[in-house]
Amino acid sequence: MNIASINIPESATAAQYPPIPEPNMLTEFFWEGIANHQLLILRCGSCGTYIHYPRPICPTCLSMDDLAPAQVSGRGTIYSHTTTVQPFHPYYVDKVPYNLIVVALEEDENIRITSNLIDFPNDDIRIGMPVEVTFQEVAPGLTLPLFKLA
Amino acid sequence: MAKRDRVAAIGVGYSTTGRRTGLNRRQLVAQAAKAAMADCGISPDQIDGVVLHAGVAGAEPPGLDWIDALDVAQMLGITPITFYNSDQGGPAYFHAAISAIAAIQSGQAHTVLTVRVINQRLSSAEERDSVQGPMRISGDSQFTMPFGSVTPIQTIAALPAQRHMERYGTTEEQFGAHVIAQRANAVLNDEAIMRDPLTMDDYLNSRYVSKPVRLLDCDYPVDSASAVIYTTEERSRDFAKKPVFVESAAASATDILPAGFEKLHDLNMNSPYHAAKTLWSRTDLKPSDVDCAQLYDGFTIIVFQWLEALGFCGEGEAGSFVESGATRLDGSLPVNTDGGACNVGRRHGANFCIESIRQLRGNESGARQVKDAEVAVWANATGPFSGAVLMTAD
Repeated sequence: MNIASINIPESATAAQYPPIPEPNMLTEFFWEGIANHQLLILRCGSCGTYIHYPRPICPTCLSMDDLAPAQVSGRGTIYSHTTTVQPFHPYYVDKVPYNLIVVALEEDENIRITSNLIDFPNDDIRIGMPVEVTFQEVAPGLTLPLFKLA
Repeated sequence: MAKRDRVAAIGVGYSTTGRRTGLNRRQLVAQAAKAAMADCGISPDQIDGVVLHAGVAGAEPPGLDWIDALDVAQMLGITPITFYNSDQGGPAYFHAAISAIAAIQSGQAHTVLTVRVINQRLSSAEERDSVQGPMRISGDSQFTMPFGSVTPIQTIAALPAQRHMERYGTTEEQFGAHVIAQRANAVLNDEAIMRDPLTMDDYLNSRYVSKPVRLLDCDYPVDSASAVIYTTEERSRDFAKKPVFVESAAASATDILPAGFEKLHDLNMNSPYHAAKTLWSRTDLKPSDVDCAQLYDGFTIIVFQWLEALGFCGEGEAGSFVESGATRLDGSLPVNTDGGACNVGRRHGANFCIESIRQLRGNESGARQVKDAEVAVWANATGPFSGAVLMTAD
């Protein structure tokens, strides 16, 4: 099984990188999409259900052969949010306070994406705000889907 | 569901409990189990089932030793047994309780010892400083941790609490009212660890961990083991203490397991609602019959979720219900009369069961005794998995 891994410099430290995704055969498409600046969500071709996190079977119709990544708009609304004050990982020691948002996607509000809202004051974030995806290389070799106000 | 023979809780016990006790799992389990057996005067040959829920919630310190239910049985001379379960999944102590209750109801065992052992996790600073080099994340967490979603305080507590506030108008002072009320109960409990009374200023000056969740909204990590012994109604009156009966019990799992709180259908109305609905469908009792409620307080928002789920107040109304004083010891529904896990330490659900049993025995809770308590409900966990048990006095 040849799975594209996210490559970072050998000299990298925990303080320079947030936890780094380790793609597997089910999730590789997602991170390849992010590297290409596309937000791809697994979708069932038989019944149209979006499936996130990626699974080998559609929970609506139990199709297994007809699942494929589909590009989504990257637009959605903030479902909830928090501003984290205490750093639980070395990367965040000099980044607190930072926000964490959960985005309900426009295509299906039950598809929720955890991310960060950029270029906006943490204290002014509110549920329901419209946002859209943007892709940022947060550290060399690591691109993440972040969000900005739409 | 047809009514089955009732299951009784007959013995309860705690280990030494505190911060970094130096005791490993085996020692803590032995202490708690022995205490529960002594509490009801049962001998090992009267027990034919053992359930152990072990494991640390969070990063595990070294040297704890690993044991399962069979080790527990062997160590305590409980042999032979016909039922055992060492499953670590699901909603903490409730998971052990429902396993024992189901085993007795089905006849796989007549008397079951349940134990929840949980050691103090590494502190967040210890955990953070132990990270060596860049961290690679597989599984579902690869979609959350790279964005800094790295602790349950964010996903289980902060995100639902924030949504509760913005959706229902819940205030930080209302969260504080609960924290202050249950601390007042802890002041009356010799076994509680946090026993200084709190004011609203104390609460509002407590530091944020992840907004709106403050340090005082989080349960207190300790080393602890808790044990409860269950048996059939038929045998239940042969022991030293007055039995307390399981009137109904309900487990629930909804949506995605085991991670992914942020992806739940609704951040505040999840498995507790389903569990509560099932719980009430299995009894003729109603929320208004309940004399005290012992509700899991891993984080304050979870108490609010259970108050609403169990029907003690309407959806979104937990904040004003708590603020009214209803959940204080002198209110219409005393909640967490032992002080809750924020104050007695993280027993991971077991203290709510044990406090219910003690309240219903009627003479063990001292100054925090709820007068004439005949019905108690306890609840454990939240989000995708949880459960609740309704108990009655003999």
